Amino acid sequence: MDWFPLALSLQVALLATIVTAVVGVPAAWLLARRHFAGRDLISATLLTPLVLPPTVLGYYLLMVIGRRGFVGRLLDARGIELAFTWRAAVLAAAVGSFALLIKTAQAGFESIDKRLEQAAQTLGHSDWSVFWTISVPLAWRSILAGTVLAFCKALGDFGITLMVAGDIPGRTQTLPLAIYDHVQSNQLQQANTLALVSVAIVIVLMLLLGRVARLRY
Amino acid sequence: MLSIAVRKRLGDFTLDADWTSDQPIIALVGPSGAGKTLTLQCIAGLITPDAGRVICAGHELFDSASGVNVRPQRRRIGYVFQGYALFPHMTVLENITYGKRRAEKGVRPLLPVIERLGLRDLQSRYPSELSGGQQQRVALARALATDPDLLLLDEPLSALDAPLRRELCTELSQTLREWGKVAVLVTHDLSEAYQIADVVVLCEAGRTTSAVPKNDLLWNPSSERVARLIGARNILRGVIADTRTESVALDWRGVRLEAAQSPSHNLHARKGDELAFFVRPEYVRLIRKNRVVSDNLRQTNLFRGDIIGERDEGTTWVLFFRVAMEGSPAQGAYDLEIEIPKLVYERLNVAADRHWDVSIHPGSIQVLPSY
Repeated sequence: MDWFPLALSLQVALLATIVTAVVGVPAAWLLARRHFAGRDLISATLLTPLVLPPTVLGYYLLMVIGRRGFVGRLLDARGIELAFTWRAAVLAAAVGSFALLIKTAQAGFESIDKRLEQAAQTLGHSDWSVFWTISVPLAWRSILAGTVLAFCKALGDFGITLMVAGDIPGRTQTLPLAIYDHVQSNQLQQANTLALVSVAIVIVLMLLLGRVARLRY
Repeated sequence: MLSIAVRKRLGDFTLDADWTSDQPIIALVGPSGAGKTLTLQCIAGLITPDAGRVICAGHELFDSASGVNVRPQRRRIGYVFQGYALFPHMTVLENITYGKRRAEKGVRPLLPVIERLGLRDLQSRYPSELSGGQQQRVALARALATDPDLLLLDEPLSALDAPLRRELCTELSQTLREWGKVAVLVTHDLSEAYQIADVVVLCEAGRTTSAVPKNDLLWNPSSERVARLIGARNILRGVIADTRTESVALDWRGVRLEAAQSPSHNLHARKGDELAFFVRPEYVRLIRKNRVVSDNLRQTNLFRGDIIGERDEGTTWVLFFRVAMEGSPAQGAYDLEIEIPKLVYERLNVAADRHWDVSIHPGSIQVLPSY
């Protein structure tokens, strides 16, 4: 039994979730609390990864990070390869999952009574300080829920990963890709084991999430 | 001194607040949706007005002409929000010490405030574990802890039930007097404003009156509009029959009324002009039957009529009185609302007897200047 796909998937999903959380939580707060031009457009665009065919997303992502892509050329000039490496898989997983995190966290921030943040402002706290001492502590359950959902989604990404990272055994073959390959080559025993492992991971995470939701602040 | 003159449009609503007070405790009174909270938010800097200026204790906080707009963090304003807005994830002590300006100085200087508001034993509780009255005190302590120049209070008592509201009204009034700086209280309850504030600003549909000393407002309203805003009943119109220095004679519903004229009201009205006035329902007297009316005062403003309806309000009765004269009544089916204590209602046997003489003391007829 080859456990590499599982290890790679966990690593990819974890990194993708970290990237998503670092960018997504402040972005969710901005969308929830600030009025700026194009906010509705951005909000709508952020939802597209949830409904667009993964191949479409993968295609555009490849156009950006591929050798001839805007970012790809910049990286290539510095000798960094991104497309068809495990890093591209991280990016793919992040793109596929950040909408879940942003939307969940945004709902969390929006449900905070605005007067709490205003009260903190009148008490002399900067926006940055209000964010960390009031907004995040009060929305943390939503943030955590979004993070866990994003992790699960990242763990299961197939289409985008296939487009930008390929399916190279021992290098970019993540767990969902490995299951696909096993089924294709009629190795049902291996496919079965990996599928069960994925189900188990997700169920355990969801159970934990349910427990956390019952906690107070 | 606090001076505000701002304009802010929000959808269909336009706030046009313009008043100045040199008295420390100001009440903004008006129905919900009048723009009272919006005014506080403009003072605190939580909302940026479209135009105007806000000046507090000599500091310019906002001026659209010169582009001054001090950030809320730097305005030195304490804000007690409606519903208190206590931080639910912090203890009472953490709430009170959260303010930036005080946080650097530690807890020690706050102890008198905590002690004064009776919060010492509650320090480690969470807001959800406090009663409404305790939450109000914590919100007040949190705002005062930053040593602000100005305190804003948005309906600080409306979340409490009646007996507690009366108690905390007195307490709040004392706390604000002891504290001694400028405070703006928002309330829809005029009697609350009267008990706590020095001056009152009336708000209605986004517009405000100037700041009026509370006694003038209640006992000497400056116009018919103000009288309506303070909820005066029996607002009537008569025609001037005669004017003297200290009184004015009015013809109303075929009755000649003498009204003591307030010297501060410079009436430009002359004989023959229409004039608005109001009569407090509780100041109209029913005259006992078979009794010789001897004193002169009782003979002025004495007229006859019938009670055509009534309402039991528990400890008092409201009677709807119709003057026995030709013509249509002044207020729909009736001319005057009269309010008497239940005891009087029973002793005079008003339930059985509907035909009465009534009299109004000339000093109880409040003449309203119309500009």
